[in-house]
Amino acid sequence: MTSDTEPASVLVPAPQRFYGAAIWDEPPAGPDSQADRPDPRWRRLATGHRLRTALPVALVLALATFLRFWQLDRVGFNSDEAVYSGTAASLAGNDTLRSMFPVFRAHPLFLQILLSWGMHGELSDWSARAVTALIGVAAVLATYALGRRLYDHRVGLLAALILAVMPYHVVVSRQVLLDGLMTLCATLVLYCVARYVESAALPWMLASCALMGATVLAKETSIVLVGGLYAFFALTPAVRLRMRHVGAGGLVMLVVIAAFPLALSLSGRASSGQHYLLWQLFRRSNHGRLFYAQVLPAVIGPLVLVLAVLGLVLLRGHNTWRERLLLTWLAAPVAFFSLWPVKGFQYLLPVAPVLAVLAARTLARVSTLAALQERGRALAAGAGYAVPLVVVLSLLVPTWSRIEPSTSRTYLAGTGGLPGGREAGRWLEANVPATAQLLAIGPSMANVLEFYGQRRVYALSVSPDPANRNPSYQPVPNPDLSLRQARFQYLVWDSYTASRSPSFGAKLTALVSKYHGVAVFTATVQVGAKSGQPVDAPVVVIYRVRPT
Amino acid sequence: MRRRLLAGAIAAALSFGWTAWTGLPAATAAPAGALPTTPIEHFVYLLQGDRSFDNYFGTYPGADGIPPGTCQKRVVTGTDSGCVKPFPLHGKTVQALGAGTVELDNQYDEGRMDGFVAAYQNQGRDGSAVMGYYDQRDLPTYWGLANRYVLFDRFFSATRSGERVNRSYWVSGSAPPTGSPAAVAADYAKHLTIFDRLQAAGVDWKFYVQGYDPRQTYRTASRTTPTTQPVRVPLLNYPRFLDDPALSSHIVDLSQYYRDLDSGQLPAVSYIASNGPSERSARSIDSGQQLVTNLVGSLMVSSSWKSSAFLLSYDGSGGWFDHVKPPQVDSQGYGMRVPALLVSPYARPGSVNSTVLDYTSALAFIEDNWKLAPLASRDAAATPITAAFDFGSAPRPADVRFTEPLVAPASSASVALVFWCYGAVLCLVAGLVGYAVVSSRRRATGWRPGPPSAPGRTVRALPVRVKP
Repeated sequence: MTSDTEPASVLVPAPQRFYGAAIWDEPPAGPDSQADRPDPRWRRLATGHRLRTALPVALVLALATFLRFWQLDRVGFNSDEAVYSGTAASLAGNDTLRSMFPVFRAHPLFLQILLSWGMHGELSDWSARAVTALIGVAAVLATYALGRRLYDHRVGLLAALILAVMPYHVVVSRQVLLDGLMTLCATLVLYCVARYVESAALPWMLASCALMGATVLAKETSIVLVGGLYAFFALTPAVRLRMRHVGAGGLVMLVVIAAFPLALSLSGRASSGQHYLLWQLFRRSNHGRLFYAQVLPAVIGPLVLVLAVLGLVLLRGHNTWRERLLLTWLAAPVAFFSLWPVKGFQYLLPVAPVLAVLAARTLARVSTLAALQERGRALAAGAGYAVPLVVVLSLLVPTWSRIEPSTSRTYLAGTGGLPGGREAGRWLEANVPATAQLLAIGPSMANVLEFYGQRRVYALSVSPDPANRNPSYQPVPNPDLSLRQARFQYLVWDSYTASRSPSFGAKLTALVSKYHGVAVFTATVQVGAKSGQPVDAPVVVIYRVRPT
Repeated sequence: MRRRLLAGAIAAALSFGWTAWTGLPAATAAPAGALPTTPIEHFVYLLQGDRSFDNYFGTYPGADGIPPGTCQKRVVTGTDSGCVKPFPLHGKTVQALGAGTVELDNQYDEGRMDGFVAAYQNQGRDGSAVMGYYDQRDLPTYWGLANRYVLFDRFFSATRSGERVNRSYWVSGSAPPTGSPAAVAADYAKHLTIFDRLQAAGVDWKFYVQGYDPRQTYRTASRTTPTTQPVRVPLLNYPRFLDDPALSSHIVDLSQYYRDLDSGQLPAVSYIASNGPSERSARSIDSGQQLVTNLVGSLMVSSSWKSSAFLLSYDGSGGWFDHVKPPQVDSQGYGMRVPALLVSPYARPGSVNSTVLDYTSALAFIEDNWKLAPLASRDAAATPITAAFDFGSAPRPADVRFTEPLVAPASSASVALVFWCYGAVLCLVAGLVGYAVVSSRRRATGWRPGPPSAPGRTVRALPVRVKP
């Protein structure tokens, strides 16, 4: 599919590539000496071009920022966000949350460390999400840099625009999840690899590997991307890969990744990480094999996928190591997570920038299609603007609907905030003794309530079998006995978990009835009734219970 | 104290006059309730049975517990046959000792406090069990409450008598009427309780009885159909508390306590009498703790918590060893020292209070708090439990996990390690990326940009193999 020859790129004529490179990579020399002072004519041209180049990028970044910050904290955290923010608060010294969200819980702590800087005062949803939203905007900029580095400014700009409005990236960036930071780091790895391929310079190999290590520190599952890099170099013999570079780079990557196990072992918590790894390796499947095929096309954008594939097919004559790099990078996580039994909505986010670049590559060539050229240059030029506009609009509409608060009583993890959870947690904090203990249906709602309520919440569905539960969670082997012994003062029902686990939902309802449950708090969302009028439907109900 | 005595005398005289004139206690009238003089708007008093202080808290740190070297003689007089040292009862099951006035007087031994074992040895029984004691392992609820609230280590039973007399002091501040059934019935008609006072003052009250059976009263109790309910619930010996609906409606089953908490209707004064979990036997200690856990836990999560006080004490030592000689306040007592705990948002946290108190100290507190006259000389002279409160501070949030030991906050040393490890490697990443950028620029500076019209130059040399 790709060609190892690259006559057009080996020697780039200066007039074609000069300005972009000069603006971004090789700025004019400083006024140290008279000889180094740039020509005023060149400076005027360069300044004008810099503005013409930077302005669209700035506009794209502004759009990305708007979509990622608009009503950022209108809905409270979901379970994962609560866990990461809770861990960050623990790192920042919050003793109450440290007992519920231990620092050494499961994942590496790169994002949590970044978040912890904003967690020293009052806990704020907005400040935590602002960090990940900014990381999302940075990923848009990194995608621009990648597209421009691999192709040109136009491709970079279109790729950044696509990513800026892509529902998948917008939705995940607006949440406190590890995947946004992982995606930013992974995109930077791609950029550095491209620089290394172009220059064969050891510093870029070291930078690539260091960033790869940082990607793993953002989320350990990104280690599969190393497989993508291996496939690329293995399938691209044209790239001279020196063993000295590989060895040095591998060492750097290992040193960076070592921060995670080193911190664990120095703190005497090595077993925490091992237990979590074992559980991850052998845990039961949570979604079907076709989960990603069913869920992701709608949020990545069908047109984006079509354009990416079309480009690879129609422009196959122009395919080079660049497309091979992008494809191997994309294939590794897609193959791995399709086979891996544990699936998550956000797990494949690192492929989003790659798909954006591939789609942008195709879009950038629309105006050069022979069929359009034959009908006139104006039409071709118009199509060059209209088609990207259609693509952007096709992404913007679902993005806008997804950043509006959900009115559903069911929930797919990773797709946004959890309506009602924050309100329930804050009610707990204001009205329930600090040492009270609650029992929820599942650990997801338990996490949210623990973060906002700062009260200990156990979950009915956590298995007493260590092999079948997240080691971070404590089971309640005999909830009936625990309630008789007044270990729990409140029971929590929520529609999200009850719809996913009807048997545990029914069990909790039975306990509410048996132990004289009195509803003391109800959170609702507005849903459409048969009459067409919106009605309030309960999503979280807290019951006070007593043993006798 | 003098003011309380004077007020008590005047109030008792007025009360007696009213009773003599009308033939009924002043209780049946119910004017508007008086406001409390302290932040305590709900006072709950649970009286369990037959435990001495040393039996429950003899090894509690900071309290006046079992002195070192304690050893009770097997016989008080005569040939020395050794002594029995205190020993932990953890994991052991011992029968209830059963202690009446005779045993208690023998244990007291005219103030020498040396007859605890001998009192039983004299009867041909093995008395060594009286030296057993429980600790944190056996009493997590009570030790947990003591760690967080107030433990009294000078709280005495009212007399060296049995449950019936002590419980009479609990509600009335005096011993129950004695004599022929007719005389007793007549005396009970005039015998005032704290609930008469509360009723007269319009202060809401309830007597919660676990497993309450309204048919079991002094009228139905006989040698052939014995019932402990009138003993546990002294009000069931008073004809007016059985016959007057305005009073009898206040004696309810314990389940009503939980419903009242749920609905925010907990009365100003609540007395609670347990049934099975009374802790008289070793077997019922766990269920007694569970009962207290339920009662206190439910109170803590209710809207009443912030203005409540829960007092737990015991209606006698049950024959268990206690080393403190009870003060002699009148011809009746005090009796042996018993455990007592005060749980309240205003209770001084984790403190041991050594004020000399008995059941009537609670009556004195109720009387002071709702501006009621004393009932008898004992409560008029009693020191209220007020010193155990700290009304100068804001109410403390409830600690519902009181059955768990207090734990020290976790160390933050491991957190610092995280920042060091991650900080070091992230600096390395930033440094290497920065180095790559700078080095590529340095390489680029070898090339000088010229005007746009300059001939084309190679910007990047790609290490890509070109096919021939």
